[in-house]
Amino acid sequence: MKSAAVPTVFIIDDDRGVRQAIHDLVESVGLRAESFATGEEFLGRRHAGRPSCLVLDVRLPQMSGLDFQRRLAESGMQIPIIFITAHGDIPMSVRALKSGAVEFLTKPFRDQDLLDAIQQALEGDRVAQEQQAEIHNVHERYRALTAREQEVLILVISGLLNKQIASEIGASEATVKIHRGNVMHKMQAASVADLVRMADKLKLSPRK
Amino acid sequence: MADEGVQKTLEELSRDLQESKARLEEAQRVAHVGHWEWDLETDVVVWSDETYRIFGLSPQERPIDLATVRSMVHPEDREPLYQGVDQDLVAGERPNAEFRIVRPSGEVRRVSSLTSERWSSVPGDTKRDASGRPYKLFGTIQDITERKRTEEALQESSRKLQESKAWLEEAQRVAHVGYWVWDLQTNRVIWSDETYRIFGLTPQEGLIDLDKVREMIHPDDREAVFRTAEEAVRSGARADCEHRLFRPNGEMRIVHSLGDLKKDSSGRPYQIFGTTQDITERKRAEEALKQSQFYLSEGQRLAHIGSWASNDLGIRWSDDLGIYWSEEIYKIYGLDPQNGAPNLEQYLAAVHPDDRASMAETVRVMHEQRSGCDVIHRIVRPDGEVRHVRCVGVPVFEGGVFKAFHGTTIDVTEHERLTQELRRERAYLTEAQSLTHTGSWACNLLTREIFHSSDENARLYGFDPSQGAIPFDRFYNAILAEDEVALRAKLENAIAEGADYDVDFRIRRTDGAIRFLRGIGHHNPSQEVGEYVGITMDITERKRAEEEREKLRQLEADLAHINRVNMMGELAAALAHEIRQPIAASITSANACLRWLARDPPDLERARAAAARIERDGNRAADVINHLRSFYKKGTPPERGIVNLKDIIREMTALLRRETVRHSIKIHSELNEDIPNVLADRVQLQQVFMNLMLNAIEAMKDTGGKLTISSRLTPEGQVIVSIGDTGVGLPAENTERLFDAFHTTKPQGTGMGLAITRSIVEAHGGRVWATVNQEAGATFHFTLPAKAEADA
Repeated sequence: MKSAAVPTVFIIDDDRGVRQAIHDLVESVGLRAESFATGEEFLGRRHAGRPSCLVLDVRLPQMSGLDFQRRLAESGMQIPIIFITAHGDIPMSVRALKSGAVEFLTKPFRDQDLLDAIQQALEGDRVAQEQQAEIHNVHERYRALTAREQEVLILVISGLLNKQIASEIGASEATVKIHRGNVMHKMQAASVADLVRMADKLKLSPRK
Repeated sequence: MADEGVQKTLEELSRDLQESKARLEEAQRVAHVGHWEWDLETDVVVWSDETYRIFGLSPQERPIDLATVRSMVHPEDREPLYQGVDQDLVAGERPNAEFRIVRPSGEVRRVSSLTSERWSSVPGDTKRDASGRPYKLFGTIQDITERKRTEEALQESSRKLQESKAWLEEAQRVAHVGYWVWDLQTNRVIWSDETYRIFGLTPQEGLIDLDKVREMIHPDDREAVFRTAEEAVRSGARADCEHRLFRPNGEMRIVHSLGDLKKDSSGRPYQIFGTTQDITERKRAEEALKQSQFYLSEGQRLAHIGSWASNDLGIRWSDDLGIYWSEEIYKIYGLDPQNGAPNLEQYLAAVHPDDRASMAETVRVMHEQRSGCDVIHRIVRPDGEVRHVRCVGVPVFEGGVFKAFHGTTIDVTEHERLTQELRRERAYLTEAQSLTHTGSWACNLLTREIFHSSDENARLYGFDPSQGAIPFDRFYNAILAEDEVALRAKLENAIAEGADYDVDFRIRRTDGAIRFLRGIGHHNPSQEVGEYVGITMDITERKRAEEEREKLRQLEADLAHINRVNMMGELAAALAHEIRQPIAASITSANACLRWLARDPPDLERARAAAARIERDGNRAADVINHLRSFYKKGTPPERGIVNLKDIIREMTALLRRETVRHSIKIHSELNEDIPNVLADRVQLQQVFMNLMLNAIEAMKDTGGKLTISSRLTPEGQVIVSIGDTGVGLPAENTERLFDAFHTTKPQGTGMGLAITRSIVEAHGGRVWATVNQEAGATFHFTLPAKAEADA
């Protein structure tokens, strides 16, 4: 794994003291830290495609942390969130966790609790990113297929024999065999079952 | 010879004379004419035989002189007769006269006496004296009694004829009956004057023939009239018909004509004699009568009033009351008029069993004493329906003699029902008044006259309503003296303005109990000054309930206070957040510091930086706690710093938003942009704003309103901040005391808010005071010295 893939912990808290302390703690365990006083500052930054998580203060000057969480979800940005608050209550924490937060910590918190939550969040993000990357790869391979090959792929995962595919697309069985070989090759599929799994990731449906 | 001849001649002459005399006598006898001679000098009278007879004497029965004649003249005619004779003689006229005589039998005869044109019985012998005056009268006397009678009878019958003719005319005119004669041969018609008049013509204005008659008869009746006439001619029966006719002026009349056929000796009809009567008025009267009878019976029917009359009731006590009932009475009793009026037994049978005995008694008393009656009793109709009827009867006397009873019978069922309903409703009303402890009354407050006071009204004051009317002053004097003054003022004001009033007051009842009353008076529409109708209610229970409610309200207020304490808790939470932040930061930094030190090799640079942050955040927490302490600790020197008032107001507005929204209060800031910063302890200043704004919210929490925060700069360099509300305002007492510790006007107040506020403001060299707003609510002001630029 390249150094660029070092996970990053983003911190948003309007209290400078808290912000700096968490930033320092994160760096003390060898992770990258980036901290912001407001949500806007965070949104204004470009994110690299590496595992990351967000330590978010519930009470922010312009927008509450919970509202910010919703806004992130709406904009399609998937990032695990750890909430911290100086005066959290149970309903608020339930709401946050239901909305997908990893953890909800009350200030002052134990450093290990925060670091464990960060580790959990980063691992989750890493898995998610890998899945995302896999889907992205399969997509790229699929896009490399010709239109006829894409057509043959659908018919293959639908369980049709070469003969049936031939009559379906109006070509000879020999031509179908060539197309099929190309599909398996280009998609890097070891078997038809492998191909079906890929089609599933691509959300392609077999013909009925 | 000559003598013989003379003798013979004398004999002959004598015989002739005798014969003439006898013939004259005979003529006189037959004609009842006698003659007489009257010697005016000797008054000797010579009568012929017939004259004797006329006077009822035998001829030549005895000599007659004037006295005899005079005595035989009717005493009434005697003087006029002889005076007339004397006058005639003096005037040289012949005395002629008609007069009555009385025969010795007493029979009265009328005679006519004529004196001869000659004065003497012998022609040529004037029988006058030397002066030329006659001395002898000769005349005839005729008994004209029979003739006179005949004449008088003739005259009488002629007069009577004339009279009856006039009467007939008059009768025809009055009765509007005319007659007519119709000659069947010529078809000529003769009309009497009245017939002309009936047809609208002048009497005997022209000849009438059948065509003219036909023309004047109403076209619709023409055929019927002549058919009737033809029928009469054919059958000989009397023609009788009513028909209409048109007068020349177009007026229509109704007539009744009768006609009788006349036949000649051969039995051939030649004439119809008839009468025609104008019955227009009668017809109209009949119509009007019919109409008025209809109206009367209709009126009786509508009013359920019948009339009756009895000739026998009171004259004779019998089963048959001899009673007349109008149609409506039959209807009231539900009886059939065809069966006639009831007898006593039937009548009493129709009366309700419970009223029968008393009704029988009423009839008996009427009968015996001939007295009237006016009773209401019940009857039972044949179909079983019970009705209430009022029977009024009066005896009718004529010239002091009892004639009959007349009366009316009125169906008063509805009336009775309403009366009973009214009684019932009155009972309900009384009951309702008693249940609700509400009395009704009407009185004049100025004249202290009571027109109406319900029983309950008296009971409210502990009076016994059965003891009769209670005078105004007894009511009024029951009012407690301490309430009377205010009450009187209100009443006087209402009277002066003619307005309604609604007052609460207390009374001491006769049993000593104090009761709360509420009086509502409505100025009487009669517009008499001081006249009111109204109700009085006992609201003692309600007052007690109100007190209970007030206690509850107090509890609620206490709860509100707890809320406020909770809010202070929120404030504490907010402050706790402020403390937690630096503590959290310190702890995290300490963890980081330890981790930097635990590294191999330890990163001392980063550890030192973390330690420095720990110190900084620790101090930050200490500051917050110090500020907190200054809230409660008096006399602590404030931590002065440059404070932007707008920032603080913004913060406090945000902090109190929930409270203001809950009570519908709008916060309005009128902040002068040029207001300089002040040198103040931020936390303490927050406390000041918090206290004053919470007070303002408190004042408006039931009504909502507007909270205004304004600031301005005085020439002396003082910043004045004003916090105003539109709430309940301030108590009238000295507003300076508001700021004393433990002084509070609010049940839920601690009495500390404004005291702390003053202590803070004065510690900053300012002052605080309150004013009452012109429109509503109060405004609290405080001053702070502005931070001069030079000091910055």
